[in-house]
Amino acid sequence: MTNLRPCWLGLVLVPGARRVLRSNRRRQGCQRGVMEAVLGQVAELPALLAVSRSALVRDWDPPTLDRALEWARYFQHLHDRFRSRPQLRDALRRRLRRGEAGSPLSFRHLGGCSELLGLALLENRALPPAACRRLLQRLLQGEAGFELGRLAPLARRKAASYLLEGSALFPGKPGPRVCAEAGLLLCRLREDGREAGAALGWLGPVLEQLPQPRAFAVVAEALLRQGCGGGDGDSSAGGQAGGAEAGSVAGALLSWLLEDLHRFSACSLLLPGTLLASLAGRYAQLSRRYLDLLAEWGSHLLYDPLQGRWVKSRSEEAKLCWEELRERFGCLCQGSVQLREQTQAALKLLKARDGDFQVCGLSVWTDLLLEVEEDLRKKQSPNV
Amino acid sequence: MHCGMAQDTTVPKLNFKFWLDKAIEWGQATTLESQKDVCLHLPQLQEFLHQTYETLKHMNSIAAIQQFPLIGQLLGRLCWNPFVVGYDESQKTLMWCLCCLYSSEPQNPVELKANSWIRSLLCHLLSSSKWERIEAETSTFISALGYTSADYYCHLVENIVSSLVTELRENQFNELNIQERISVSRVNAVSLFCLPLITLPDLTPLLETLLLYHGGASKEILSSEFLEAVNDAVLKKKISLSESAIFSLWHRHLPSLESATLSLLDQLTSLQINSLEKVACVIKDSLLPQAASHPAIFRIVNEIFKNALLETDGAPEVMTIIQVFIQLFIQVQQNENKQHKFPLKAYFPHHHQPLVIALLRRPFELPSTHWLQHLKHISDTLKSIVEDTNVSSFADLYEIWFLVACFGEWLDIAAEQLMKAAVAPDALLWLLAFYYCPQNENQQRTQTMVESQAVYSRLMMLYNRTVLSFGDLQASVNNAADTEQCHTQCLITHLLTNFLLFSSGGHMIAQEFISHITETTDMSKEVCSLLIRTAYRIKHNGGENQRTVKLLNELLQKLAVEV
Repeated sequence: MTNLRPCWLGLVLVPGARRVLRSNRRRQGCQRGVMEAVLGQVAELPALLAVSRSALVRDWDPPTLDRALEWARYFQHLHDRFRSRPQLRDALRRRLRRGEAGSPLSFRHLGGCSELLGLALLENRALPPAACRRLLQRLLQGEAGFELGRLAPLARRKAASYLLEGSALFPGKPGPRVCAEAGLLLCRLREDGREAGAALGWLGPVLEQLPQPRAFAVVAEALLRQGCGGGDGDSSAGGQAGGAEAGSVAGALLSWLLEDLHRFSACSLLLPGTLLASLAGRYAQLSRRYLDLLAEWGSHLLYDPLQGRWVKSRSEEAKLCWEELRERFGCLCQGSVQLREQTQAALKLLKARDGDFQVCGLSVWTDLLLEVEEDLRKKQSPNV
Repeated sequence: MHCGMAQDTTVPKLNFKFWLDKAIEWGQATTLESQKDVCLHLPQLQEFLHQTYETLKHMNSIAAIQQFPLIGQLLGRLCWNPFVVGYDESQKTLMWCLCCLYSSEPQNPVELKANSWIRSLLCHLLSSSKWERIEAETSTFISALGYTSADYYCHLVENIVSSLVTELRENQFNELNIQERISVSRVNAVSLFCLPLITLPDLTPLLETLLLYHGGASKEILSSEFLEAVNDAVLKKKISLSESAIFSLWHRHLPSLESATLSLLDQLTSLQINSLEKVACVIKDSLLPQAASHPAIFRIVNEIFKNALLETDGAPEVMTIIQVFIQLFIQVQQNENKQHKFPLKAYFPHHHQPLVIALLRRPFELPSTHWLQHLKHISDTLKSIVEDTNVSSFADLYEIWFLVACFGEWLDIAAEQLMKAAVAPDALLWLLAFYYCPQNENQQRTQTMVESQAVYSRLMMLYNRTVLSFGDLQASVNNAADTEQCHTQCLITHLLTNFLLFSSGGHMIAQEFISHITETTDMSKEVCSLLIRTAYRIKHNGGENQRTVKLLNELLQKLAVEV
């Protein structure tokens, strides 16, 4: 950042803007002008947040800090006022999104501004002592109308999660942290509502903040939750509207997952077969791509007659060994009827393409199909 | 500037050395012993921290560190103890103390270092990274989405709680699958971990699941410290749990039930009782009558009441409280449409069942014309138990007496009927005589019976006189009033008071006579209790004439003023 004093510091419009907003004279033109001013101010939010995390704060003195916190309060005030007015809310939202490409800023950033800013500044070591002291007073001691609000429960909940996290086993399920992250991701996506498609702009860069295995786990969990009849309890829209929104939320996540082949390939390697099978059961696009991927990997297996089994070829594309491939297909067949049939059909097709052999050791698809069907028979009549 | 003053008064109170030693001993609370010890000290520690903050806020940071050199070490260690941070309001006070120690103009490297250390501690408490280490990954992701650590931990705790709840519930019904059984020690550990978090609303589902959890072991699985702490929070109305969870708590942890019962008694005896409505309200709120639907709970509460009565030498206020409790208990029993009600014997195992059944009938269930007969039945049954069977020990006698006393409504009605009925059988007077004088090895009861019979006859002669003077009444009861026997005096006072309330001539001199009674004898509490009970009974059952009601209210008002 080249400018030392971001323009929001210089803006003195705040009290005036409010006064004018309340005025009834020359409403039309005035309101448009005022709205423009408000939008202009709101556009400074990204800069404010960015500065609060940067080394630029080392020049801040207590009055500057106060001003920054007042701005945060003002943004919060805007959020509260416009929350129930959809048109104004959308206007603000669009303006925020117009910012840097890939910026996930949304209306909610306005709402949580005080907290976002306060905590970001707390963690920013560049903030000088005097300003920091002022911050601590305002943040934690509830002076000057700053709510201690959620910070005491925050510390309490953090201790609680440390105490209890170790106790639970969570066998075979994603940990509570992954679930929490997935939950927040879904909340954020749902806020965009039908415009979740626009999430594509910011979803990638945001997910890149996580290490890849974690990102996959979070997205998978989010997709699972979204796939359960249009989201869980915090889905506010009901009925048809809910369906469309749910669709676009899942759509955004799937796009991210599937658009890049390398990414999807890495994901399919990292996530367990059972999880992928669950996802494939819910999302048709994913099941198709997944089956294609498995077909690709399977084609790199060679039969070793001396050992009497299938082994990975030397090529780099051979990602899965026979056991793993078998397990993957097995998981798919334990899913819904639809998924099982789709999987079997795919295997049969591959087997046919290979020459439709009935004997083992010639086509990996023949062998796989045999094993998979054997498993199904056993499952149906377990006494045998 | 005021440091000097503060120093003199507060330093002795703030025992940093003690708490620092404790904090070092606790470490990060990783062993069961240290965890239990922390839990034991949490309330005092919170109080200490609060006092510390109150002192610190008037000082600047340098003076604070000079005066309390150990404070840094102490706060640092406490911030890393999850039990301390998780408890009630301790985390607030810790953070405020840290703020006080932060220097806005650090003059030297030491102060700079202190500042930096304070910020680290605050980040440790408030940032989204894990407790054990600062990891950046989750933090940037979450803040990029527009959420803060506050949102994150909200979701996280919710997830952990629902996960644990699901696990515990599944294990409840999964008795056959032994491999997956959650070990007893784990559940015990979880309950202890929950102790500091009891008042955190997010935890309520977990608390309820734990309280309703039965692992099949015969010994109690949940930590007793936890159960005690939950009970404490419930009694102080700091949390609200479902009724079934509370009943389960009382059922499985005797000290909690005892504590709840005693707390109810304390609460009620400290009230200025001038109406039973308030008493009934408080008792109902306590949920004990509802809990007592379970026989085991009923029997224990009953025992506690029995002992309380003994300890207060049969104080009439306590007796009244017990009577109201029993009434409410019966009401609850009748209102509940439970599939399987427990048999009567479960509640009153040692008693003659026909007597119990007779006493349990509520007066309003019978037409008032049947009351005489019913009372005679009660009296006869009781007489046969007491006189014919071998009731030798005081303890046994007390048991029977207590049973009858609990259903005081019938006793009051007996006294009333003695006045109102055209011909009242002796049995009714016997019943009252038994109540006031259960023992008879030296013919005390017989004596009481004889003396009160005499007074009663004289009262009956005056009953229909429309005009009665104070002197007339005084003359009639004078001989009897001289008796030194307390029991007899009580019984006679009871009869007298009823006479004044219900007879035609009595109401004119009622005020005067009752004042006389309260001044010349020490029966004022008895009279007061009787009037309050009568008012309550009339209000709920009705059927009394206006004159009596008016008189009753006047008498009560006057007594309320005097008390």
